[in-house]
This record gives sequence, C-alpha cells and structure tokens, in this order.
Amino acid sequence: MTLRIKKNRLLLYAGLLACIIVLPFVVRDPYFIGMVNFIIIYSILCLGLNLILGYTGLLSLGHAAFYGIGAYATAILMTKHGFSFLPSLIVSGLLALFFGFLLGLPTRKVRGDYFCLLTIAFGEIFRLVTQAWISFTGGAMGIVGIPIPEVLGWKIQTEIDFYFLGLSLLGFTYGTLHLLTESKFGRAFVAIREDELAASVMGINTPMYKILTFSIGSLYAGIAGSYLAVYQTTVTPSNFRLEESCLMIIMVIVGGMGNLAATFLGVSVMAVAIEFFRPVPEYRLLIIGLIMILVLLFRPQGLLGAAAFKD
Amino acid sequence: MALLETDRVWKKFGGVTAVQDIALSIEKGEILGMIGPNGSGKTSFINLLSGIYRPDKGNIRFIGEDITGLPAYLITKKGIARTFQNLRVFPNISVLDNLLIGRHCRVNNSLANVYLNPFLSRKREKEAEDYVIELLDWVHLADRRKELAKNLPYGEQRLLEICRALASEPQLLLLDEPCAGMNPVEMDTLAAFLKNLRERGTTLFIIEHNMRFIMSIAERIVVLDAGAKFREGSPVQIQNDKEVQRIYLGEEEEE
Repeated sequence: MTLRIKKNRLLLYAGLLACIIVLPFVVRDPYFIGMVNFIIIYSILCLGLNLILGYTGLLSLGHAAFYGIGAYATAILMTKHGFSFLPSLIVSGLLALFFGFLLGLPTRKVRGDYFCLLTIAFGEIFRLVTQAWISFTGGAMGIVGIPIPEVLGWKIQTEIDFYFLGLSLLGFTYGTLHLLTESKFGRAFVAIREDELAASVMGINTPMYKILTFSIGSLYAGIAGSYLAVYQTTVTPSNFRLEESCLMIIMVIVGGMGNLAATFLGVSVMAVAIEFFRPVPEYRLLIIGLIMILVLLFRPQGLLGAAAFKD
Repeated sequence: MALLETDRVWKKFGGVTAVQDIALSIEKGEILGMIGPNGSGKTSFINLLSGIYRPDKGNIRFIGEDITGLPAYLITKKGIARTFQNLRVFPNISVLDNLLIGRHCRVNNSLANVYLNPFLSRKREKEAEDYVIELLDWVHLADRRKELAKNLPYGEQRLLEICRALASEPQLLLLDEPCAGMNPVEMDTLAAFLKNLRERGTTLFIIEHNMRFIMSIAERIVVLDAGAKFREGSPVQIQNDKEVQRIYLGEEEEE
C-alpha cells in the first residue's frame, strides 16, 4: 500500500519535472518565460525568507538588502574585476551570508518589533549607500553592462537559457533548505517561533540558532541577487527598496509560513496578480494589500501553510 | 554524593529577594517535593536550577560538577529537564514534533552532516523518531502523534509536556506544579506515572500546591517561605509541623 503511494508520488514528481523541462519549448513566448523567470527569482528569495520568517518567526523587512548585496557583488566583480559568473555567484552568496550573520547578531539582545525596525534601517542604509557611493556602485544610475555569464562553456543569453540557470539555482535552494528543515535544525527553528523560552529549555542554543537562520536565509537572497545581475545586465538601487522586502513578506504569508512548497504558490499568485494589474499601476499596491488582507482574514496560515500566527 | 546540590543560593529582583540562602540536596532516585505559599520563590528556584535565571550568589552542583550560571540549553544537555507551571507545549506543531524537539540535544547531527551526508543525517533523525515513538507508546499517545499539540485534551497536553522533557533522557526532572488544573482522576494517573518513572531511575523534583498529591508521592518535602527554606522532612513530619500548618496548611483549610 505505502509502496504504491510512494510509486505514485515518484511518478507525480517525474511528471512535474518533465513538464518544467519542456515548458519553455512548448510555450515559446518570451514574455511568458520572462514572467516565469521573475517567479523563479522571487521563489529563491522567498524560500530563504520563509526560513527566517516562517520557520523561525523573525520578522525581517531587510531581505531586499541581501538581494542587493548579492546583485552588486556580482555586478562589481564581473564588470570591474573580470570575474566569471560562477565565482561571482559564490562570493555573492557568501557575502550575503556574512551580512546576514552581522545583522543576526543583535537578535541576541533585541527582540521582536525592535529587531524588525533594525532590519528596516539596514535595508534603507544599504539603499542609500548604493545611491550615494557613486564611485563604487554607480549611484542612482547603477551598474550597467554586466557581461553575458558563462557556466562550463554554456553561454547564457536567451530567456530560455536563463530559465534553466534559474531553475538549477532554485533546485539548489529548495534541496538544501529541504535538507535543513527536515533535520533537527529545522525543528529547532520552529521551536523558537513557537516558544523561545521553552525552546531553550529543550537544549536549543536559541541565540546561535537565530543567527544561523538569519545567515542561511540571507545566503539565498545573495544567490538570487547574483542571478538578477546577470539576467538584467544592470543593477540599480531601485531594485532593492523597502517595497520589494514587503512584497516578499506578503508572498511568504500568502503562500504559507513554515512550508517550503507553499512558497511557490504564494510567489506565483502574487506575480500573476501584479502582472494582471500592470495596466493600472496606480491600483497595484491597493490590489496587493487587498489580497493580503483577504488571506489574513480567511486563511491566516496562508494558502498552504501549516503554522498559524502566534496567538 | 547527591545528584544535585545547591549551596546558599540567592536571587534578587530589584529590592525583592525571590530566593534567599537556599541550601538543599536532591539524592539520586528520590522524589523530592517542594511546597510553600504563593510567592514564596518556588518557581524562581526551579528557574535557577534550570538555568533560566542566574543566581546572584551561591553555587549549584550537578553530579559533582559546578553548573552555576550555565545557560538553559547546556543544563538540559547535562541531564536536567523541566516542565512549566503554565503549560508550554508547542501548540501549532504535531505531538511527534514536540517530542522530537525535546530530543534535540541528543540528536548527534551537525550542519555538515545535514548537507554533505544526508543519508547519515536521515538515519540519526530516524533513530530519534524511533526513540520518541517508543516513549509515546509507553504513555499511550502513539496513535495521536500526528495531531497538533493544541488539539489534545488538557490532561494529555500536561502528559505531553512531561514526555517532551523526558525525550532528552534527563537524570533529574523538575516539575513545576504538574497537576495544576487536573481533575482527581487525571491526578491519580499522573501520580502512578511519576512513580513508574522513578522506578525507571529518573530523579524527580516536584513543586506542587495540591497537598493530597504531593504527600502521597514525595518521600521528602522542603517547605519554602518568603524565599527561604523553612522546613525539610518526611511528609508525615511536615503534616504534623505546627509552624508549617500555620504558614501554609492553615491557609488551605480556610479555603
């Protein structure tokens, strides 16, 4: 019986994978693929954020800054220092991890709402620095002319190429996060979200785990940023505003906090909504807000979420 | 050698002395009870033992080792587990996950294992799961392991919290008013369960307001009053102590 269910599941996964691989060859519309690529970037970002927000319960409004750190690191390394894409990607991820670690340090003393304010401040400082430090980041004009990435001889140029690059990064993100959340580490994060004092009595080093979740969650934002840099071939400070951080949080909440697979749904729903209302940009934020309010009213745990808000 | 010894432990909060000069020892394999009026410092004392508070003065020794001022997670790892007076199970996750979190410090898995050796990591997780399922079997909660903790009836949530503490294989279990809010039937079940636990070699330290319960289960009782140790003796001695009756039991009769 269970073997049969397992077999069915395996078939389902194989079918899903096949669909994902043939998708760009069936639907050749570059506009559509472009939108899917947007969903991929935000899925990587939101998976990392879900670890921080959904699993550990730390509200971070600075996620776009880590995204930006990754993007600028790749842009600067590839345009000014002649790095190729893979090393830039790795450096970008590690740099975001490092800054995540630094911003995670205050979680030892600063709690809840105050920590959230700190992350907003960090995000704003990052954006202002990228605007003001013209010699390093190109100021408001940003960095342009990021070269075509090449991975092991594969030149990544078309939307379809980027689709597969994004897909492999997304696969890496989901795979590693899945391993983490299914281990004692993932459970420790959930314990901290549920009741931090009780978690510490369970033998969980809560300060260390909060820093860990923040560092690891930020790593993926760095990877997404690196991908964005080569995909857009430009990076500007306006890619990394507070608005982007808010959008990511809404995506995580709409999908479901504390559920990795739900993140894809949250990102897709929001991305489609944003695309759909693109002709009426003045109502865009209104619509986003409305979706969020509806979800919070009728499904506070998110469309597929397991964990509800603390009551 | 005593399992746990406190040596003249003090704890103050501003001008209030919550715990003053408490020296006591918990012997291996016993059930030690602690009683005292509200606000006499019982919970503060358990918080000191479990590392949530750090004592201002004095020492705490566990199996001959000084554990004064260690953070709570290290104390749990050394073999002291506890429950809370106001039930603190993790409400929104399953019964099984609650216990697995309790098992946390005994799962020998590193981050490197998780990423680089997923099969070993998986195996260790499976071992932890087997261990806690056995524990759940023992308390007849195994078939409810997939339910969210908050959906269990109150008595079972209490039991779950004790099991969660037991999942870390403690040598010493600190229970803070384990039968608060329980009906007499649940209380008798709990008493039998705790005695069974002691038979299996776990030492118990129990704070309790319910006299019938604590007198029936503890072999030795410490009475606290205003943060200080007031009396220590067998249940019979404590019950017949006129002074204890004055500060504590008398109060009970009036209720």
